[in-house]
Amino acid sequence: MKDQHNNIWIGVQDKTNDPAFEEMASQEFYELPIVDSLADDEFVEKSSTNRRDFLKYLGFGTGAAMLAASCDIPVKKAIPYVVKPDSIVPGVATYYASSFVRGGDYCSILVKTREGRPIKIEGNPSSTITQGGTSARAQASVLDLYNTERLKSPAQKVDDKFEKIDWKALDTAIRSKMSAGSNIRIVTNTVLSPSFKAYFQELTNRYPNTKVVTYDPISSAAILRANQESFGDKVLPNYRFDKAQMVVSFDADFLGSWISPVEYAADWVKNRKVDTKNPKMSRLVVVENGMSLTGSNADNRIKVKPSEQASAVVFLYNKVAALVGGTALPEINGSNAVNGSAQEALKELAKELAANKGKSLVVSGSNDTNVQIVINKLNDILSSYGNTISFSGASLQKQGDEGAVKELIREMKSGTVDMVILNGANPVYDLPNSAEFAEAFAKVGTRVSFAETMDETTALCNFLAPDNNILESWGDAEPKRGHYSLIQPTIQPLYDTRQKELSLLMWLSTNEELAVDAGFGDQPYYNILRNYWKANIFPKQSQFISFDSFWDTVLHDGVFHVASEAAPAVFAGDASSAASKINKVSSAEVEINFYETVNMGAGQYAGNPWLQEMPDPVNRTVWGNYLGTNITFNGNNDYKSFKDLNQDSKGNTDLAEVTANSLSAIIPITPTFGQMDNTVSCGLGYGRTVVTSAGKDTGKNLFPMCRYNNDGLIQYWSECEVTKQSEREREFACVQYHHTMGVTGTKEGSEEVINVDEEVLSYQGSLTDRSIIYNAHVDEVGDFVEKLTKKRSHAQYLNKKTLYPGHEDTFKMGHHWAMHIDLNACTGCAACTVACMAENNVPVVGKKEVYRHHEMTWLRIDRYFYGDVNNPNVVYQPMMCQHCDNAPCENVCPVAATNHSSEGLNQMTYNRCIGTRYCANNCPYKVRRFNWLDYTTADIWPANEYPINGEDLPFGADNLTRMVLNPDVTVRSRGVIEKCSFCVQRIQEGKLTAKREGRRLKDNDVKTACQTACPTGAIVFGDRNDKEGMVSKQMESPLNYFALEEINVAPSVMYTAKIHNRNTKMDA
Amino acid sequence: MSAVVSPIREPLVNGSKTYHQITEDICSPTERTPSPAWIAAFIVAVACLSFGVACILWTIWQGIGTWDLNRTIGWGWDITNFVWWVGIGHAGTLISAILLLFRQKWRTGVNRAAEAMTIFAVICAALFPGIHMGRIWLSFFVLPYPNTRGPLWVNFNSPLLWDVFAISTYFTVSLLFWYTGLVPDFATVRDRARGFRKKFYNFLSFGWTGKAKHWQRWESLSLILAGLATPLVLSVHTIVSFDFATSVIPGWHTTIFPPYFVAGAIFSGFAMVQTLMLITRKVLKLEDYITVAHIESMNKVILLTGTIVGVAYLTELFIAWYSGYVYEQFAFYNRAAGIYWWSYFGMMACNVLSPQIFWVKKFRRSIFVTFFMSIFVNIGMWFERFVIIATTLARDYLPSAWSYYVPTWVEIGIFIGTLGIFFTFYLIFVRVAPVVAIAEIKSILKSAGDQYTGPEAHRKKKEAEQVH
Repeated sequence: MKDQHNNIWIGVQDKTNDPAFEEMASQEFYELPIVDSLADDEFVEKSSTNRRDFLKYLGFGTGAAMLAASCDIPVKKAIPYVVKPDSIVPGVATYYASSFVRGGDYCSILVKTREGRPIKIEGNPSSTITQGGTSARAQASVLDLYNTERLKSPAQKVDDKFEKIDWKALDTAIRSKMSAGSNIRIVTNTVLSPSFKAYFQELTNRYPNTKVVTYDPISSAAILRANQESFGDKVLPNYRFDKAQMVVSFDADFLGSWISPVEYAADWVKNRKVDTKNPKMSRLVVVENGMSLTGSNADNRIKVKPSEQASAVVFLYNKVAALVGGTALPEINGSNAVNGSAQEALKELAKELAANKGKSLVVSGSNDTNVQIVINKLNDILSSYGNTISFSGASLQKQGDEGAVKELIREMKSGTVDMVILNGANPVYDLPNSAEFAEAFAKVGTRVSFAETMDETTALCNFLAPDNNILESWGDAEPKRGHYSLIQPTIQPLYDTRQKELSLLMWLSTNEELAVDAGFGDQPYYNILRNYWKANIFPKQSQFISFDSFWDTVLHDGVFHVASEAAPAVFAGDASSAASKINKVSSAEVEINFYETVNMGAGQYAGNPWLQEMPDPVNRTVWGNYLGTNITFNGNNDYKSFKDLNQDSKGNTDLAEVTANSLSAIIPITPTFGQMDNTVSCGLGYGRTVVTSAGKDTGKNLFPMCRYNNDGLIQYWSECEVTKQSEREREFACVQYHHTMGVTGTKEGSEEVINVDEEVLSYQGSLTDRSIIYNAHVDEVGDFVEKLTKKRSHAQYLNKKTLYPGHEDTFKMGHHWAMHIDLNACTGCAACTVACMAENNVPVVGKKEVYRHHEMTWLRIDRYFYGDVNNPNVVYQPMMCQHCDNAPCENVCPVAATNHSSEGLNQMTYNRCIGTRYCANNCPYKVRRFNWLDYTTADIWPANEYPINGEDLPFGADNLTRMVLNPDVTVRSRGVIEKCSFCVQRIQEGKLTAKREGRRLKDNDVKTACQTACPTGAIVFGDRNDKEGMVSKQMESPLNYFALEEINVAPSVMYTAKIHNRNTKMDA
Repeated sequence: MSAVVSPIREPLVNGSKTYHQITEDICSPTERTPSPAWIAAFIVAVACLSFGVACILWTIWQGIGTWDLNRTIGWGWDITNFVWWVGIGHAGTLISAILLLFRQKWRTGVNRAAEAMTIFAVICAALFPGIHMGRIWLSFFVLPYPNTRGPLWVNFNSPLLWDVFAISTYFTVSLLFWYTGLVPDFATVRDRARGFRKKFYNFLSFGWTGKAKHWQRWESLSLILAGLATPLVLSVHTIVSFDFATSVIPGWHTTIFPPYFVAGAIFSGFAMVQTLMLITRKVLKLEDYITVAHIESMNKVILLTGTIVGVAYLTELFIAWYSGYVYEQFAFYNRAAGIYWWSYFGMMACNVLSPQIFWVKKFRRSIFVTFFMSIFVNIGMWFERFVIIATTLARDYLPSAWSYYVPTWVEIGIFIGTLGIFFTFYLIFVRVAPVVAIAEIKSILKSAGDQYTGPEAHRKKKEAEQVH
């Protein structure tokens, strides 16, 4: 033992020479390994668990574990590419420029694909037409690709049943029916594709008795005919809403559904954004009976009955002509032309138009040629041609003329038609005389349909040649003259379908193998299209010398524009004779107008669950059409008290029987603000009978209630009778029950002006003093800014009184995400709502769940009426999670499932959520959504899955529909809360891009789905800390406010107050 | 219980009971075969319980979508029932703990049953936070336990989490308190029993032999538990009220909620005690132990707390007006005159107006009036919770989101089920345990028995002596 005193010591025990320590220090292995004691037999014998027992336990344990592990646990394998395609990087989206075309509906798009499957439609900013915007219809179209009920192969009808055949057999069969003398009819809605039209021509060349019958169920034939007569050009003109300071619309819903709403909305909104330093904005006046989307965006609405529309146009013309010079037109309806209050308003309107000569634009949705000629004349005397209307870049989006259908029916009846090829048209559903059509159609020997899904007309065909979905096809479109657009496939055909152009080609060629023989290879139509463009489109430009580079550029951009100048339009029509032929004002007590809804079109979108579940922007109803009545309507046109406007029983509404044209239908009523007395309105496109499940028996089909006018054009209004039923609708699916935000009216039986909200809710200021919506007249912007600033600074003063100060700088570092929404730019078109559903895998829940207020939409568009109760203005407010920096939802969650990111995002952790719904209760904006039932079929047992509209499988239960899911976004299971995430997956992607490129994140790196969908640029998203960024710039406007600022939740979504430009002189 | 009692004070034990008679009277219900009335009641209760269980299973199997809650109204009958039952569970502990500390002798007649009721009510209440969850199978997430997720802890800021602690603590302490009181009484039953019952009660009484040391420890434990339970009476409903008071929703965001909820809870708890005791004393013939004096005392508490609640309602309305805050003003206007006006009316009528008849002594002492009043109060208090929850949520900040709510049969079924659970337990309780605390009633016999106190004490004592 060494002397420890002189040595190195490591602790006090070294110094004290404690015997126990010395004992320990002297032995190298003071504590023997446990093995020694185990090896000791005596020890082992004594121990309660001996070695043998240990082995027994071990053996049993291992055996049991193996037994358990060998039970079949399903393994889902993700198989990596053996040879990875160059264009696909797993986890990285690829975008392809393409076009959404359905009849005349057009949108230039970018298709987002992930791992080779298209999952999302984005707007194409290169487009000269849609300017990067999209419509709800375009957004939803990607779901049609994955529709499990698409026609899956060619078929022939045998004994009233379709039997699958192969393409070769079909081609042979069809060809055998074609001979040189065959009377072939192609029945189609508007076709935008120049290359496809070339085939029609070729077909006509080969079979000279071929005719192409083009009609549009929502027809603009009157405009075509009027332009033929007035200008000698049967085309829709190029309306330039961006150049008009004064827009008047006679029942033309150009922001919602008329011709090219995405383009028009983008153009119109350019003059609607307000600069507070120089407050000025264009004016929009809409003359209509029911509240349309455009009407809801109007500064003034003039209410006229549908039968008064025509004479209102002539009346306005004469008043304008008196001011700017022009011959007066005969007014055949005399002094009864228009109702009294509308007359006064129209007089005032004439003054405004005259004052805005050259800067005004008058459009009409009327399908009466005579009315359209007067409109042309009116635009002519207002010098609109050359300023706000031109024929260069004329629109081709409606080319149909019902006259052709009438002729076709006559021919079919007489049995002279040998073959009808249906190119997506559905005349057995969407014609007023569809029954007559069906009867005549049966007399045609060969009836072929290109339809993608079964419809009413296709069901009567004897051959099916199903077309590819547009996302599986090559193609082109010319929506406006000189504006070309390409369609490229983003996925191989999912089924045994063939694109219709190719089918037609196969039937044209004498040689069966022609297409392939001609060296077109495995993408025959690609080569044909290329050749067509090389021959026809390429020569129109001079920028590119080589066709290859031209083609690659156009394919990349998706669009190509040739500037062309049309000769100045010279009006050569006879307005006077037209005016003398307009319809008489009806003396019927009630009139109905039928309108195209924003989502359903003419019914061709009825099979799309996303569009069915998209609330109608104005009525806020889903899954059906509803009869819009005046708010005071109770079945007998008696006055109803304002109290009833605040609906207190859920899911109930009255039913009414509507009788028009000796047909009747029982339709649920939705009282609508702004609906004219003694008129009702109802949307078209519902009540499909043969359609994929989502559209089946939703609503009522009202096409048969329309009729043809004297010119043989469809007239979208009728005299009618409305009788309230004693039964009530118990499944009224409306997502908003309270509709007003400060409307005023006169008290029953007196002239006293009252606050209607007060009457409804019994409390003064209970609505109007809420800091949710602000609105002001453009002339009062200065005062308004002062008022708003005062109110906001008071709120901020209150917020400074917090018990927990000192957190003001929390988000000053790094990113601080924020959104800005301009309520002046928002038209309420709901493209963002559908885009959000597509991007974020928001489930569709069906009508029953929506009427129980279980809808799942992360982004809704609140619609409030303000102003005069009988003729109100409307403000739309997109409402989604406000990502409060002081979020009330976060602190109440017992398990911290929702929390705040360092970048100001309110995050939702689905895995952690136990579903107490406390966060939803405590959300002042009520934007949190709970998975009440198993909407996504994520539960392990299928017993609680419900089909949404009578399908075989619940929505999203099959693997095909699930292909539309965004792989970056979790599919939520039953029992968890979900909500807007500010598209956190896109934020993450943008951050990674910026990081990879070693730079600061810029505006364009992150755009939310709602932002890219918006046709008017109302939504801007970005980093609030980036002072140069778009969102910071937008947030500087003194018109901005936060909704409910004074409750100190510190929201991150800023709204710009709604500024309107109402002319109160029109109200008198 | 050594306080001096005024001879004018009403006796709390009638019928000139001797100690043995007390034992006989109170133990006998557990020794007889059940009466047809008991059997009928038990069948009904178990039927309700089974239906409730079926509804709960259906909810768990299908999802909360079987209820008619919606995107705007996230809580309805579930949390209404939760708060209602928790409220009912307040009287027991108040009687046993606070009244013990205040040396209120009349508590001895009713404390056992009231404590039992507390426990059963808390069980019913505790069901709802569980089944109202979207994913009940993950309900263990609310427990702060070390875990491998980080570890990921619960959110200590959340009032729902405070509820978890408050309710579980309350339940534990109430159960201990109740059981502690039962131990000597179980021993009494054991001493009278034979065979299996003897073994059973021997086990339940932990081998109590009645030694002085046992009594000493028992007294200390009772006092300690009373001390622990006293703050709980105030804290539980305070914390339940935080579920609402800490939110930002106008109509919930109110500082008055804690005292108002506690008063309401005592109010409804006493009403439920009255309902149960009036039936129990009649059926089990315990009129001598649960006297009209007891009933009157409880009616006084109901009158007091009912009036406190009424003042709270009026204060809310005043503050809403006085605040000048539109949302708050609208919220309260809407409560009284909005879509659910009838529930506000029911609440006001049952909770504030009807108890005022107890200013009249005749009504306070009327069994009939008391019984109906106790039912009224229970209905009124249920409405109060419904008003606070459903009416408030149905009309909050954004008019676009306003909605309406009516329960489905599943929600109603679950409520009926909890009534079934409550009564099933209570019926078993009256068969198994002495409904009145034997030991405690004996302890007050000399100071509050009718032989010793009250205007006719002298005569009664004589009579009693003659009998023996």
